[in-house]
Amino acid sequence: MGKLLRTGAWILVAAAGAFALAGVALKRGEPVNSAWLVTAAVCTYLAAYRFYSAFIAAKVMALDDRRATPAERLRNGHDFEPTNKWIVFGHHFAAIAGPGPLVGPTLAAQFGYLPGTLWIILGVVLGGAVQDFVILFASVRRDGKSLGQMAREEIGRIGGGIALLTVLLIMIILLAVIGLVVVNALKGSPWGTFTIAATMPIAVFMGLYLRYWRPGRVLEVSLIGFLLVVASIFAGEWVAHHAVLGPWFTLGGMALAIALIIYGYAASALPVWLLLAPRDYLSTFVKLGVVLLLGLGVLIVRPDLQMPALTQFTDGTGPIFAGKIFPFCFITIACGAISGFHALISSGTTPKLIARESHIRPVGYGSMLLESFVAMMALVAACALEPGVFFAVNSPAGIVGATPAAAAATITSWGFPVTPQQMSELARHVGEETLFYRTGGAPSLALGMAHIFSRIAGNEAVLRFWYHFAIMFEALFILTVIDAGTRVGRFMLQDFLGHIWKPLGRTSWMPSVLLTSALIVAAWGYFLVQGVLDPLGGINSLWPLFGIANQLLAAVALCVATTILIKMHGAKYMWITTIPLAWLVTVTFAGAWQKIFSSAPRVGFLAQARLLEAGPQTAQTKQLIFNNRLDAVVCGIFLVLVAAILADSIRVWAGILRGTREARSFEAPFAPSQLEAEELG
Amino acid sequence: MTRAWRRFWHTLLAVLRELADERAYQRHLRAHGRAPSGEEWRRFSEERLRQKYQRPRCC
Repeated sequence: MGKLLRTGAWILVAAAGAFALAGVALKRGEPVNSAWLVTAAVCTYLAAYRFYSAFIAAKVMALDDRRATPAERLRNGHDFEPTNKWIVFGHHFAAIAGPGPLVGPTLAAQFGYLPGTLWIILGVVLGGAVQDFVILFASVRRDGKSLGQMAREEIGRIGGGIALLTVLLIMIILLAVIGLVVVNALKGSPWGTFTIAATMPIAVFMGLYLRYWRPGRVLEVSLIGFLLVVASIFAGEWVAHHAVLGPWFTLGGMALAIALIIYGYAASALPVWLLLAPRDYLSTFVKLGVVLLLGLGVLIVRPDLQMPALTQFTDGTGPIFAGKIFPFCFITIACGAISGFHALISSGTTPKLIARESHIRPVGYGSMLLESFVAMMALVAACALEPGVFFAVNSPAGIVGATPAAAAATITSWGFPVTPQQMSELARHVGEETLFYRTGGAPSLALGMAHIFSRIAGNEAVLRFWYHFAIMFEALFILTVIDAGTRVGRFMLQDFLGHIWKPLGRTSWMPSVLLTSALIVAAWGYFLVQGVLDPLGGINSLWPLFGIANQLLAAVALCVATTILIKMHGAKYMWITTIPLAWLVTVTFAGAWQKIFSSAPRVGFLAQARLLEAGPQTAQTKQLIFNNRLDAVVCGIFLVLVAAILADSIRVWAGILRGTREARSFEAPFAPSQLEAEELG
Repeated sequence: MTRAWRRFWHTLLAVLRELADERAYQRHLRAHGRAPSGEEWRRFSEERLRQKYQRPRCC
């Protein structure tokens, strides 16, 4: 009877999911309520978790709770510690949830709500969650080894080298592009700039509090820090209207970019406890709180989606970024569907905390489903805005026209009515001078979130608070990624340079710290400035580069995962990882090829350089030509890296399947678990 | 129901304390048989943060 009921319940879930997906895909010409998207997503996640991940866990991985995990075998009270599965789940989710799942879907909303929705839902259940799950499993079975170590062992030195180089390249592009998102969100916004500037002394106060006044009270100081940040949002409105202070905090794109570069350098070179760590604690809690609030908000408000299912921009003429729906939708939305960066987390801290092998499934597969849900919420928030407003905020002046009247006329001519008066009224409501040309996704996401939050708590009068709260939230954790990323990049560079001259590898030697910090900051700072100067808004060139790089890392992770599955089962289950791998390789190759060689100047870097060469030559034009060629080279490097790791992996797979190569397992030998349930408090 | 809620809050607080490194600090004190103090926190925190910020961050 119980089994019958369970079967009936799962049939209902599957039917509801299929019905909602069909509704989302087929409804045309009338606003679709976001409840359809949420139902389609949640039912698909539930079914995929219950059946697909269970199949992988039982048949492919043969997860075994009798086997001691590295957390138990290598327990040291620091990294290796058997931990309650929900605590590991929270830890892992907090580590994988960055700005990507919020910004990517917002930008991809230019294609309409349908492509992003389908890619987020299908991409995660068949690709992203599978990647995280298999890599976490592989790392747990290999004493918590990193992706690079596993690539080197399972595939060879080339794979390991590529993984390391890819991570460094992605970091540089990632830091530049998210830096650009912050710059565009704060440009000409004294309120936002003051709030974000205020988080720096607040973080220093928190650092001192934690180190000297109340050591170890992280939750306590984070609560104080949060209250101070909220107070700074209120103070920001006063500053914005102040005759003297207002102009101080009204900065242009270049000034903000330089401030960000100086900040990144300082955060990388300063003691970590003073600025970086307290900000990181604060931003983690704010991030989790706001994501929860956004999820609840969408479920309670259930806004209608104003954006059509598909826009005319699927043909590649989109104003936010150029390029057809294939491959650019799948590159723009990486985190939320599949993100190579997650493989680094799944082979980092998390495997060292897993107490039992059965916990790998909820942590690896389950937390990625939750991240995908966050991406869905971001898509809903963006698509709930009027399309005219959405495009007015996200389109660069180089595309829609340099004046509000011209921009409004261009956007209205696309079939998305908007007026300068409407935009100016909206800007006034949220306490901004203007909302035109605020590219990067953060301001439109903040607008969408503010509308949802203000319908739950408050009304139009508090819209301005919620808008700046959302901007603060986005900028706070983007800046945390920037300062932590710069520091990590510095360590990686020091590690590399240490092979050339030993003192450069010493992380405590100040000249090396200052030099390598400067090199890393200069690398991402160059791309950031390039984005600020780009007349097409910067996002058009940088976000696809980041997407390609991130998907490339996912391809590396899936190559490692496939090699491990082939060593375990031969060809029987290799489809589990080769299907998403084949898709990613196709997408990455198509995307990178088009970004280099497309004859459309807005898509192809070389075509853009040729177009600029044909015009009048100024110093700025020459710089733009060089930048486009540099981007083409970076894209070319990504292509070569994908090809190299793929060829190397196929060589290994063919050898194992033909029997000419030993399928050597690098798994740690079986050791029986002695762990008691009460040890996992 | 109350029990379920209590368990939920207990787990939620544990997640927050894990994210805040407070649980890791407790483990450190237990592992080394030491009492909490400002000096001990600084020693623990320096090592913890050094390791934490050598690992790539997710996007």
